[in-house]
This record gives sequence, C-alpha cells and structure tokens, in this order.
Amino acid sequence: MVEVKQLIFQYPDSTYQLGIDYFCIKPGEKLALIGASGSGKTTLLKLIAGILSPEAGMVTVAGTSPESLDAAERRNFRISRIGFIFQELQLLDYLTVLDNILHPYRINRSLQLDRAVRGRAMELARQTGLADKLGQKPGRLSQGEKQRVAVCRALLPMPRLVIADEATSHLDPASKLRILDLLFLAVERFSASLLVVTHDHELLPYFDRVVDLSELTSRHET
Amino acid sequence: MRHDFYLAWQYLRHYRWRSLTLLVCVSLIGILPLLLNEVLTQGERLMLQRAKTTPWLIGARGSTADTTLAALYFRDTAPPVAYGEINRVEQSGWATALPIHARYRIHQIPLLGITADYFDFRHLVPALGDLPGFIGDCVLGARAARRLGLGVGDKLVSTPDNFFDLAGLVPLKLHITGVLAATDTVDDEAVYVDLKTVWIMEGLGHGHDSATTRAAPTGSAFTTPETDPASAGAADAVEITPDNLDAFHFHGDMERYPVTAIIVAPHDDRAATLLGGRYVDENLPVRLIQPVEVIRHLMHNIFRISTLFNLVLAGASGAALLALMLVFALSLQLRQGELDTIELLGCDHLTVVRLVMAEILLILLLAAGLGSIFLAYIRHESGILAPVLLDAL
Amino acid sequence: MNPEFSLRYCSMHFESTPAPPITPMLRTVFTLLLVLSNLTTVAADNLQPRLTVVASHYPLAYFAGRIAADHADVHLPMPGGIDPANWRPGSSGIRMLQRADLLLLNGAGYETWLAQTSLSRARQVDTSSGFSDRLIRIEQAITHSHGGSGQHTHTGTAHTTWLDFSQARQQAHAVAAALGRKRPELKSRFEEHLQALDSDLARLDQNLEALSLQYQTLPLMASHPVYQYLARRYRLDLVSVHWEPDEMPPGSEWDALARTLKQHPARLMIWESQPRPEITRRLTQLGVASVVFDPCANRPDQGDFLSVMQRNLQNLKQARESISAVLQK
Repeated sequence: MVEVKQLIFQYPDSTYQLGIDYFCIKPGEKLALIGASGSGKTTLLKLIAGILSPEAGMVTVAGTSPESLDAAERRNFRISRIGFIFQELQLLDYLTVLDNILHPYRINRSLQLDRAVRGRAMELARQTGLADKLGQKPGRLSQGEKQRVAVCRALLPMPRLVIADEATSHLDPASKLRILDLLFLAVERFSASLLVVTHDHELLPYFDRVVDLSELTSRHET
Repeated sequence: MRHDFYLAWQYLRHYRWRSLTLLVCVSLIGILPLLLNEVLTQGERLMLQRAKTTPWLIGARGSTADTTLAALYFRDTAPPVAYGEINRVEQSGWATALPIHARYRIHQIPLLGITADYFDFRHLVPALGDLPGFIGDCVLGARAARRLGLGVGDKLVSTPDNFFDLAGLVPLKLHITGVLAATDTVDDEAVYVDLKTVWIMEGLGHGHDSATTRAAPTGSAFTTPETDPASAGAADAVEITPDNLDAFHFHGDMERYPVTAIIVAPHDDRAATLLGGRYVDENLPVRLIQPVEVIRHLMHNIFRISTLFNLVLAGASGAALLALMLVFALSLQLRQGELDTIELLGCDHLTVVRLVMAEILLILLLAAGLGSIFLAYIRHESGILAPVLLDAL
Repeated sequence: MNPEFSLRYCSMHFESTPAPPITPMLRTVFTLLLVLSNLTTVAADNLQPRLTVVASHYPLAYFAGRIAADHADVHLPMPGGIDPANWRPGSSGIRMLQRADLLLLNGAGYETWLAQTSLSRARQVDTSSGFSDRLIRIEQAITHSHGGSGQHTHTGTAHTTWLDFSQARQQAHAVAAALGRKRPELKSRFEEHLQALDSDLARLDQNLEALSLQYQTLPLMASHPVYQYLARRYRLDLVSVHWEPDEMPPGSEWDALARTLKQHPARLMIWESQPRPEITRRLTQLGVASVVFDPCANRPDQGDFLSVMQRNLQNLKQARESISAVLQK
C-alpha cells in the first residue's frame, strides 16, 4: 500500500535531515509508528500524505507516487485516498459536528456531497456515539468526542490509507481503546491500511506491526 | 460555490455579534451618503410639491423665506399682514384667497388659524368626527392627534405657557371635534382652529359674561387682557360653550386683524398676471411671494452645503473602509490556523481565497439588503423627511 | 340616450344637409364623433351631482330655487315659524352649512352667527355686497352693558334688504352669478330662469312704486324696524315702534305712541303678521288702521315669496282705499 525508498527530506533553514532507506505498509496492515520526540514521525506522515515533497527518493501510495502529480491532483489524491487524523484534530469551531465531518466534501471539488455521503456520515457518527451530537459545535464537546469527530472526518471519503498522528493522546484508557477499535473496524471494512503514530506503548500489542522510526532512519545533521 | 457560501454563512452566524457589527458598519458606510442624498432629494420633492400646490402667498415685506416656511410648513414666524388683504384679492375676482395664522404652537405642535376653505384647498378630510363648526372648536392632524394622545370629544387647553409667544394670550379650552385623515404632509402635524379662535386667544374677540372673561382679570374686557403666564392654567382657561357662544364678538376693524400670510390661488394665467401686476409697487406694505421660487432658492443653498458635507462624508467613509479592511486582514490572521487546516484537508489556496471572498460578499450583500430596507422605509415614509429637513433649516 | 337612436338620428341629420362631397369613411368618422360628443355632454350633465345650496333666509332660498330649478337642492337650515334673523346654528345646523356647495347670505349684518362659526369663505355669497354702499346704518341700535366698564354700543345695519324689490333683483342676480360660477355649463339655463324671476320682481317693484304714489302724503307707523329699505325705495314716511303682533304693548308704549302720533299723524300701522284683535281695536280707537306687510323671511305656510308679496301689495292697496273712504266721510 505504502512504499518509501531512499527518502531524503530536509526542512528549509534546518540542519536536520530525515533519511529512510526503505519503509512499507502492506494492504490492510495496521502499523504503529513510534519514535522519540522530534525524530521526524510527523514529517514522515506528511511526506506519505503528499503534504510535503521529498528532496530525493520515492514515496508511493496505492501504486501512485504523489510526486508525479501536480498540486491539484496531489490534493485530490490525498483527500480521496488518505484519511488524515491530525495531532491537533483541527476541527472548525463554527461548524456543527455533522458539518465538520462533511467538511472535506465542501472544500474539494473532486468530492461530491450527495445523499449517500450524508448517510454515511450519519452512520459513522452513530458508530462513534456522536448521533445525538450532530448539531452541536466542537466548543461544547469533550476531548474524546472531538477526537471521534476528527476520526469520522478522516474516514468519510473511504480512504485506502488512514494516518493518525497521536490520535489517542490526552484520552483516558477506555476512550483510547474505543478510538482504536473504531479505526481498526474502519480499515477492515474499507480494506484500508492504518498508520498510527503513538507514544502509548499499552496500545502497541493491538497492531499488526510496530516500527520504530529510529531504526529506519539515517537521520543526521548536514 | 454553494459550499463556499454555506461555510461563510456558518462562520458569520457563529460569530454573530462580530458579523453584525461588521454588517452595520458596512451598511452605514454605504447608506449614509445615499441617505443624505435621499433626504435632500425627497425633501426637495416634497417641499417643492407643497410649494407648487401653493401658487402664491401674500406676506409682509421682509423675509420671503420666513413667510413661506411659516405659511407652508408652519416653521418659523413671520411678520403679520392685515386680514383685509384677503378682500383685495377676492374683490378682484381673479383668485381664491385663504388666510393662515401660523404664529403659535400648542404643546410644541403648530396651531393654525384658518378658514374652512383651507381643508378643501389641502384636501384634508376628517377621518374621525367633524371639522370645526364654531369658534373654540379644533381639529387635529393625524400625527398631532397621536402625539397629543387626544381624540374627538377631548379638550385641549391652550395655556399661555404652551405658546411660542408668551405675552398677552387668553388661554382657551378647545373642543376637539375631529381628527383629520393622514396625508403624509406637514398638515398631519398641526392643530387647526378657525381664524377667529386665534383672534380670541389674542384678545381681539371676547365674550361678555363672567365665565368668558375669567382669563382677563385686570381692567376692562375690552382691552387686551394681560394674563400672568405663570399662574394661568387649565382652570383659568376660557371655554366657549353653546351657552356663551353668542356673547363672543369682535371689536374694531377686523380687516386690520393679523394673519401670517394669505394663500392666493389665481383662477387662471391671465388672472395671475393681472393680480401680479397689483403687487409690483414696492411701497406696498405687503408683497406677493412665489413659494416655489423661495423653496428652490433654499434648496439650492442646502445642496451647496450638502456637496461639502458629501465630501466630508466621502473622506470619513474612505477611512472607515480602510479600517474595515484592516479588520478583515486581522481576522484572516486570527484564522490562519483554521485556513491551514482546510489546506491540509485538501483545499487549495484559491478555495481559501474563495471562502474569504464569499464571507466578504455575504457581508456586502446583507449590508446592501439592510441598507435597501432602510432606504425603502425612508422612501415609504417620505412624509417624515420634509419635517426632518425643515427642522434642520 | 339610446346610442343606436342617436347614431341614426345623426346620420339622417347629416344626410339631409347639403354637404360638400365627403367619402363614406369620413362621414362615418364624423358621425361617430358627433355621437360621442353628444353622449359625453349628456353624461357630463348626468354625472354632475345636484348642487347643495343653503340660504340664510327664505327669499334667497326662493330665488335660488327659481334660478337653479332641478339642478340644486335648496335648503333653509332653520325650522319654520321663526325669524331667520334670530336663528343660531346648532350642531346639526352647522353641519348643514358646512356641507353646502353654496351658502347664500343676505349680508348687511343679517347673519350674526357668522362671527361664531367656522365656515368656508369661498362658498359664501354675500348677495347684498353689490349695494353695500347703500346699506342703511342704524346708529345706537343695540346698547348693552357688562362688567364694571359701563355701557357699550354696537352700531348696526338694517338688513331687510329684499323689501326694496330693486335690491331684491340685485340679490337674485348675485345668486344666479354664484350658481353660474359653480356650474358654468348651466350658466345659460340659470340666466333664462333668472330673467323670469327678475321680471316678476320688476313687476312687483313697478306695482309698489305705482301704489306708493298714493301714500306720498300719508304718515305711517311700523310695528317693527324692518321696513327701512321699503320706506326708502318707495318714499314712505315711516316711524317704527318695537311691538310684537302677539303681545299687547304696555301702557307706556301706548303713551309713547300717542306722543309720536302728535308729531307724526299716522293713520296706518304696518305689521309683519296679523296683530291680536285687541291691539287692532285699540289702534282703531286712536284712528290708526292695521295692515300686514309680511317680510316673508321664513318659508310661508301658504304660497311663495311672490304670492306673499302680491298679497302684501293687495293689503296696502285695500288699506289705502279704506283710509281714503274714512277721510272722505
């Protein structure tokens, strides 16, 4: 599903460089990515999602290299194939839970917001226990509820790859498991792969594979 | 595009107070010059309309503007002319003449002394009750009735302290016989009595029994009563009743009694020319005034001032617009995180711009809507503009 | 009017005229125009509502009724049997006056209520304004007192103007002119009616003028000061008292009369209406006969203004004959 080869990336004005010789995620695989703070986990996620472009090397997702696409295609590819759950959740205060879930469909023309999509959004909300919160704004939700909204938003376009950046941090153990269950359920249903960055070692046993980024990288100063 | 507006609308709704403030600001910036223009245009139209329906005035020599404003719009005071001037016009057979006495105010409302012909001339009909039948009766304009909170059968006391001019007036208890139908002109905001009633208030006419002379405690009833405005109240007011009505009479030559002006409506152009010729003599104590000319002149001056005002307003609007742009820019800065998110979600720069533009467009549309409603209301209630303008004069 | 009939009538009329050669089309157009103008005139006549005329006394109402005929509703605002000179409008009276299209006034101070009422000036017609310079002033007519300021005198004007029939004619002309101003399209019709009325009044004037010759040397008394214009026009030597026909005057009045008769040896007293028999008897004892000359200020029970005036003339004629017979004896 995801294949990373000979990847080199460096932020402008930074002396640190991320280098990965090889990394892959198989179709349907649930993979946990761990690593020390600042080791480049989030950077790797953004490279895979096509938000960042590598200086050298190759990233392919579902057989497509985001690098080979122009900016618009890359955005369409990302929004339709990759569900991204951000560390900061990035919910919009002024939209209701339902509108937040539907948000990708309102800002990208490659996605068509129709009745089926709405039905799916409701179903996701029901599955995540948000059915009675659809009309509420994020300001009135608990952290766990917000997290679930972010998960629903990422899952709605039925992505082939779900990337979660610290999606379960700040949650109580029960909620963490519930979110994880939901993610697992979703990727199984869509035959998608799951890439979760976490510091939570209690959760690692639930994954098919755990990868420590420090073992992958040849990260060094330039 | 639909989604852009949907999201923008949700944003505006969520931050409703901020949006409303913006909306009002934008509305005001847009509407103020329009409103000023509207007030002037409509005011001019209404004032000219009234001036056009008042072909001529006979007024005392002096300020033609004072006489016109007093006789047509019941503002300002003008030196009086003799009632007898009416005969000069009527005997010519060339015109209809209507006296108007517009010197006083009663509870801040113009008190007009007129003859019943005035109601025909201005197409005023009672919506309730009847026109005044006797001296001591009055009829209220629609807005005057609302302001006074009085109706048919009530009494209105003209204590001297209610008057514009405090000295030497007999307080009279007026019987309200009717309320006129609204005309959306200044006629709605006056109290009408027969001319003779005003003369009684001025002490030119009086009754003979003790009840009718209560307000004139000093000296003979035949001298102009000297009332004490401070102590004269409703209790001292003279009431003209069917019992004492016949006792009321007038002394001296009525032709020399004062009126503010005489409205003159020539029967035709030839009559107008002939009549005009009679007032060419500059030694006459009176002169013929063409209200249209007076109002045009006044409006011309007002428009000159308004040009200056418009310039100031344009400057102020420009500054306000810049401030608004700053507000938008700051707001965008505050929303940078949110904009980054939607970019992360897969939205291009153009969409972000579109979303912001949709918001601005919505604000502008709503402001335009709000402004249009306000302007439409002003246009619909155009009757209130002339008084506003007149008060400004 | 039936338009069909009118059309046919107009066509026939057109054809019967020896006209210059006109095409049938033009002829039809002309015919239609004629019909239309005819119809609109009729319509205008019918659409105009009847004038509402209110007169302040009966003679004016009579004049207006004769002149306007079917084109006006003429009203007298006061009830019958009272002297309109003493009438005051109440609330219903004032509404009638306010609703009038034309308010016919005698003028000469007849309508004292004008000072207390609020009425349209434009609709008022002062019918005596044409001879205002010839009105008779009554000096010190009404004297009254009030408060501590002593007596106060009003001067007045004699107001029974119509008893001088030449003045009555002028008043009728004023009525016709006012009606004509209100309905210019009917002016010629009003003029026609005025001519008839005017000749009736002129005849009365001539007859009374002729009759007055027989009164030239005869001193006369009047029971009330209402005959000033009658006396002036027809050169009657008339002195007035203030007597009412239905009230026996007190002794002082009879004494005053006796003194007056010494200066002014009248043989006839003119009354507004038939006096009580005891008054007539006592006057006869003083050698003074009684004759009625009804000013007819209010609507008469029988007849109209003209017949009342003719009867007045007849009364004067008979009275003169009786006096002559007595004198001859």
